[in-house]
Amino acid sequence: MNGKTDWNGNGATAAQVEMAALPMKRESNWKRQFKRNKWLYVLVLPGFLYFVIFKYLPMWGIVIAFQDYQPFLGIRDSQWVGMENFTNFFSNPDFFRLLRNTLVLALYDLIFFFPAPIIIALLLNEIRVAFFKRTIQTLVYVPHFVSMVIIASITYVFLTPQGGVLYDLISWITGKPIDVLASPGSFRPLIIVQMMWKEMGWGTIIFLAALAGVDTEQYEASIVDGAGRLRRMWHITLPAIRTTIVILLILRLGNFLDTGFEQIYLMTNSLNRDVADVFDTYVYTVGITQGAFSYSTAVGLFKSVVGIILVLGSNKLAKKFGHPGIY
Amino acid sequence: MNSRLYNSPAGRVFDIFNYVMLGILGILTVLPFLYIIGNSFATEAEITERSFFLIPKVFSFSAYEYIFSSSTIFRSIGVSIFVTVAGTLVNLFFTLTMAYPLSRSDFWGRNVMMNMVIFSMLFGGGMIPTYLVIRGLGLLDSYWALMLPGAISAFNLIVVKNFFQQMPPGLEEAARIDGCSDLGVLWRIVLPLSKPVIATFALFYAVGHWNNFFSALLYISDSDKWPLQVMLRQIVLLSQASVGDMANMDPNFVQPPEQSIKMAVIVVGTIPILLVYPFLQKHFAKGVMLGSIKG
Amino acid sequence: MGQKTGFKKGALLLSASLVLSTVLGACATDKAGSGTAGGGTDQITIMLPNFEAENPPDNSPVIQKLEELTKVDVNLQWVPSSSYEDKFNITLASGKLPDVMVVLGKSPSFINAARTGAFWELGPYLKDYPNLSQMNEIITNNASIDGKTYGIYRARALGRNGVTIRKDWLEKLGLEEPKTIDEFYNILKAFTKDDPDGNGKDDTYGLVASKFTGPWDNMQIWFGAPNKWGDDGNGGLMPAHETPEYMEALKFFRQIYSEGLVNKDFAVMDATKLPDPFVNGQAGVMVDVADNAQRMDQKILEKDPSATGHVDVLQAMEGPKGLRDMPTSGYSGMIAISKSSVKTEEDLKKVLSFLDQLNEPELQALLGNGLEGKQYEKKEGYVIPTTDKLALRDVQGLNQILMFIPEDKTLRVQQTPVREKVAQVQKANEEIVIANPGEPLISDVYAQKGPQLDNIINDARIKFIVGQIDEKGFQDAVALWKSSGGDDYVKEVNELYAALK
Repeated sequence: MNGKTDWNGNGATAAQVEMAALPMKRESNWKRQFKRNKWLYVLVLPGFLYFVIFKYLPMWGIVIAFQDYQPFLGIRDSQWVGMENFTNFFSNPDFFRLLRNTLVLALYDLIFFFPAPIIIALLLNEIRVAFFKRTIQTLVYVPHFVSMVIIASITYVFLTPQGGVLYDLISWITGKPIDVLASPGSFRPLIIVQMMWKEMGWGTIIFLAALAGVDTEQYEASIVDGAGRLRRMWHITLPAIRTTIVILLILRLGNFLDTGFEQIYLMTNSLNRDVADVFDTYVYTVGITQGAFSYSTAVGLFKSVVGIILVLGSNKLAKKFGHPGIY
Repeated sequence: MNSRLYNSPAGRVFDIFNYVMLGILGILTVLPFLYIIGNSFATEAEITERSFFLIPKVFSFSAYEYIFSSSTIFRSIGVSIFVTVAGTLVNLFFTLTMAYPLSRSDFWGRNVMMNMVIFSMLFGGGMIPTYLVIRGLGLLDSYWALMLPGAISAFNLIVVKNFFQQMPPGLEEAARIDGCSDLGVLWRIVLPLSKPVIATFALFYAVGHWNNFFSALLYISDSDKWPLQVMLRQIVLLSQASVGDMANMDPNFVQPPEQSIKMAVIVVGTIPILLVYPFLQKHFAKGVMLGSIKG
Repeated sequence: MGQKTGFKKGALLLSASLVLSTVLGACATDKAGSGTAGGGTDQITIMLPNFEAENPPDNSPVIQKLEELTKVDVNLQWVPSSSYEDKFNITLASGKLPDVMVVLGKSPSFINAARTGAFWELGPYLKDYPNLSQMNEIITNNASIDGKTYGIYRARALGRNGVTIRKDWLEKLGLEEPKTIDEFYNILKAFTKDDPDGNGKDDTYGLVASKFTGPWDNMQIWFGAPNKWGDDGNGGLMPAHETPEYMEALKFFRQIYSEGLVNKDFAVMDATKLPDPFVNGQAGVMVDVADNAQRMDQKILEKDPSATGHVDVLQAMEGPKGLRDMPTSGYSGMIAISKSSVKTEEDLKKVLSFLDQLNEPELQALLGNGLEGKQYEKKEGYVIPTTDKLALRDVQGLNQILMFIPEDKTLRVQQTPVREKVAQVQKANEEIVIANPGEPLISDVYAQKGPQLDNIINDARIKFIVGQIDEKGFQDAVALWKSSGGDDYVKEVNELYAALK
């Protein structure tokens, strides 16, 4: 993957020759690029228009974060309240609790959930029996399609103190009953486990696609050099998908403060609310009494600002380490 | 291949470990779905009793009969298939054509455009402004309303662009020397070598379309154009009617459809799209890229 | 080589899709224009939710009969219930409202829209209509906004809450129906300890409850606590959780929980699972809407057709302040008339006339049951609904525009003993329900902090019941409630209350 040899198998000489043959132009670099690549601009046009029309045109809607937006009045006639939605949000006595819960969950997600698909993809990559590999690949992403409501329901059935199979098992193993569903201490691990169960397999798809492009020659060379399985994984496979991992990580940071609303909403109850309440569930409940629009847009704006800072920051960081980054 | 690679004792231990772990994982992940399928064939009585684990004692097709008793369901399946296929093609068209130029380092304007994409990924106007734009374009109640608003996912775009960037530059240079235009390079070199990537995102987009009910609920009032998920979601909602919802129904309201129907809905709504992946899997075969690079 | 044909194929597919969709789009727009009424009649557009999976087709014979009887060309805009709130808001935002809209709840956007003139204020006009003038005062008050009526409420049973109980267990243990709280406690105990299903196993308990806090709110009222807001002795209102009766009730709940008379997992159990333990023979009592009794009965019969007479329903348990029960608001949503499409008073009167007519017995039966011979057969004064799904589709959902004023006049299905008891209980409850004086009040503080404040008290209540906190802990929570905005809330509510009196 290093492009040292070109298509013809010759050195870069052919290209160099071509370059040398061109007259040196120093002015209007961009004009020259434009002319040379005019087809690229044609290609990019549909996508560009898409973003302008369907993403940027509706973006003026963000102003409702600074209003008390009422659908009937519309944006023009709704009252402007300046930063009031934001001050309400930040000065809320629960703000720090929500922030804590959201952050902790986000971190758990990053530390435990993010690597899981990568590991599974790597393991799957080592399977040589094609039938087994394809089967496991298909099975493992099935939970992605199961709705969260069902998963919450199944979780309840297994863990209920009133006769849940897993509940009984846990109290038998540990000697004392642990009400996983009600205990604040077990809430976050439970959420992460549920999430992994549901999305881990689906997440492997991208990595498997990346792994499909790894150069087997390098493997063979390393075997000759006496490298064992794990060595090979570490030195060849991982670096090959390193760029993909970094990109996905950066993009994940863009949604850092996004927690799985539906999942958390379903698993919250009176006994674990202290650790369960996050920004998203809070905005939802407020939205019912207050009117979702302005408040949720304001909180969304806040999350977006944090997200973009994280994305730009991590992108710069990645580049410092020599990765291509997002751009 | 060299079996030497894999038959060292350490290698074999690793293999066994690997197969076992992945096997367990496979079982764990598919179990809930088997549970759902089993429940969809059970009678209501058995479900409340929880008298079975995976396979009900008495098989009943009543849930499926209920779902398929209306002609509208079949129509909505047709709509879903159409929107998924056409929609995915639209997605691929827009995404691939935009990703390629963005992957080229000599594409002037690249940074500006990338900024635009990333910004739009994180900031958005929300449901109502988007609705008003769609309405302004006259797309309400049309299939375009289901396919255009999500034509490009910024996330997908960025990852695809990244994959394009990872292609050996030598390839493109060589093709250009041979007289290929940019379009040609895209069409003849880049795309064929990106089959795993295209397959992956075709799958992502397709799943997105198949599962999407919200767009239809918002933009489409003509019930003839409702995709499957809209119908299914209504059925699930009914079977899940809790006390609060009861208040909205007729005082004479007869009991809601059974739990088994909720399960059957999931089966009907999920299996078609589940079957897509195995077909795409052949594109994930290793070494697709490599034949072209060998010296 | 393969690429060229691949290209062609792709392009072909794409263009085919484009053509197909344009054609389909064209066909669809034609359809929307087909009307069914004869010329010269008025037209009324109605937006309403659909709680079924399918809509009645435009040419449904039931709809045609409706138009015939009302002499109005009815144009129904169906919206799936799952997205009704969103669609409602979008419609408000788009500025193009239909003549008549079903409003599912007093959402903030509806309240604001009503206050800023989106809908007609109907109060002054209602007396001119035979049925509408009979609207129940309490319910009208509950449904009002700032004391004004912006929609015709859709009536629901006011006294809907009751106690569903396993009659066969009572009989097995030789016990009488409980009437007081003490008797209730004894029943719960007996159900838990005395093996009421006679199978020799200790696998039963008394009350089943879920995450949903309704049952506790309900039972508290038995103890004498007010319904959300009570008289503070000075002509003002105080919140229920500050009353001593509330605490009495909580102590009772805590006791029955600690004795194992309630399911251990009620705090985490989803409300939709509530029926299961009852039907499975694990729990013997459920405090919920009374009509649940007939649902439980049906489910039990499904499991075992010989299990008749297992279910009974009771009103409420008598407490220190007598027999008291928790009402519902008495309505579920209302029907509002938009000013932007119903422009003049004359038009308004025509619409009101139409709505009034929908309360006539004939029309209630039409929209609620359908056409005789098509959707049901008559037999001995009851109706037997058809099992033909296609026929049912013609009427399903039309009952959403029924208001049931002055009362429900749809035709009854065959009454089982349980159904009859339910009707009895609901009617009798009307005498003993305790209204919530704060229901019509719209509080800004609540709009901002309501859910949070509610959570503080509700969570504390649950924690107290399961024994996680003690009485002091609960009082701490009340103090937190007050300092987090509760005091402001109480003040505001009292101001609004005084203004409305």
